[in-house]
Amino acid sequence: MKKFNQIKKLIFLPILAILLNSCASIKEYEKVNINDPDMELSQRQICRFETNFQLYREGSSGANGGKVGGGCGCN
Amino acid sequence: MKKIILLFLLFISGLVFSQDTKNDKAYKKRVLESIEVDFLTSYYNQEGSNASVTGGIGNEDLEDINPTIVISIPLNDDDIITIDLGISTYTSASSSNGNPFDSEDNSYRTASPWYASSGASKVDEWKSLNIDYSNSSEDRNTVITANVSSATEWDYESFGFGGGITKLFNNKNSSVTLSTKIYLDKWIPVYPKELDAFIDAGGNSISGFFNNRTVYNQQGIISSNWSPLTDFKLIDNKSRNTYSVSFLFSQILNKNTQFAFFIDLIKQEGWLANPLQRVYFSDRDNFYIGNPSSISFYTSKLNKDVFHLADDIERLPSTRIKVPVGIRFNYFLNENLTLRSYYRYYSDDWKINSHTLNLELPIKLSDNFTFYPSYRFYSQSKSKYFESYDKHISSSKYYTSDYDLSKFNSNQLGFGLKYVDIFTKLKVWEIGLKSVDLNYSNYKRNSDFKSNIVSMGLKFVID
Repeated sequence: MKKFNQIKKLIFLPILAILLNSCASIKEYEKVNINDPDMELSQRQICRFETNFQLYREGSSGANGGKVGGGCGCN
Repeated sequence: MKKIILLFLLFISGLVFSQDTKNDKAYKKRVLESIEVDFLTSYYNQEGSNASVTGGIGNEDLEDINPTIVISIPLNDDDIITIDLGISTYTSASSSNGNPFDSEDNSYRTASPWYASSGASKVDEWKSLNIDYSNSSEDRNTVITANVSSATEWDYESFGFGGGITKLFNNKNSSVTLSTKIYLDKWIPVYPKELDAFIDAGGNSISGFFNNRTVYNQQGIISSNWSPLTDFKLIDNKSRNTYSVSFLFSQILNKNTQFAFFIDLIKQEGWLANPLQRVYFSDRDNFYIGNPSSISFYTSKLNKDVFHLADDIERLPSTRIKVPVGIRFNYFLNENLTLRSYYRYYSDDWKINSHTLNLELPIKLSDNFTFYPSYRFYSQSKSKYFESYDKHISSSKYYTSDYDLSKFNSNQLGFGLKYVDIFTKLKVWEIGLKSVDLNYSNYKRNSDFKSNIVSMGLKFVID
């Protein structure tokens, strides 16, 4: 039950953020900062090797837009 | 939980179809201007004292070098194909202890969990090939992807395929991605030598491999009573398949802030344990090969010449359901500073729950150089099938002494430096250097495990 509540919170937080902000529309010419390469919503390419060893050395994986397990004899 | 996820998906799909699209056909930019080639490489090393090949104790030393090349080719204005080829070469002290005897001229010298059997560590390779294809629509509001992958290792083969669709809406302020990936993997099983030999000899622990080798009991007295667990058998199902569905929602919150929400639903089935990993039971007598005078300090690093014969291999359920949920939140603080943050909560039906927090603070030192300090915290509970060395009970159905499934937390500190030249001034013929990336991370568990990784990347653009 505790785990369910934690997941519930994790799902509702982004929904709340969307509700509060989804109508805000930033124009293309206003996205200078958003388009900065460091603002990308993914891990940096050079960090792929770290993610790979974490996949082997930790019991969990996924939810980062990358590997979810499988493809190797890893966890 | 299913209802919540369903409601969430309905809500998002409602947003997709309700947003204003009048500015969508503004300007069509080529998705990728020219061919890009990335040369990436990493050097990784680790130290620890809980090797799973030797049942949860022993030397975990491992080194890995992983050169990779990634080539992205624009097929036309809309389509890109990316080829990702990597070879990972590693030396592992514990892998060589699959066979506790030296395999060549010194075949009667015995190893210990702390001392690799062949003297030198075992060298192996992992080779992988991924091919990704993506197509962007005319208005750049829809991206369709497809991919295939293949990987081989000395004891493992993998074939994967998948695809996905991304929809951008709300003037490209929001996006939704739905993707799937399937891996059809297969073990080429390698077993602990004594167990393999026991089966080869028809369940006889005196002849064959054990001929002229002396087995001792816990008191150091010669014994012929060793045998694996009753009904011991090798693995009957070599497949290990993974099916995943991933959902991603991203949203620009204002001119300086955006976030992404990730959720994966992953099902694995097949042989999910590693057949090379030994397990020892506390309710069975212990038997050894090698120097009987070292038995009394078997778990000490001083033990160089006695080896505990396995009771069984690791055994785990044939299915596993994983549900990781992640949020990435990036904030552009000012022209010199950006905050990149990531949090993940993970849960599976083997009772592993984990929290991951990652913070990165890119600091722009100049137009060309950026410094990347980073910190990562990770904490997990133990799998219900995990127990440490010689603590399992033989009546259990499933068991592992793999410390990657134990309870621990870890801290990782890192820093990187990136040089970027968007004009690619440094050119040789038609090839221009676009960026150079360097990264270092130090990883420490609260148990006895630590590792270091150095990565380097060079990006070239071919005009």
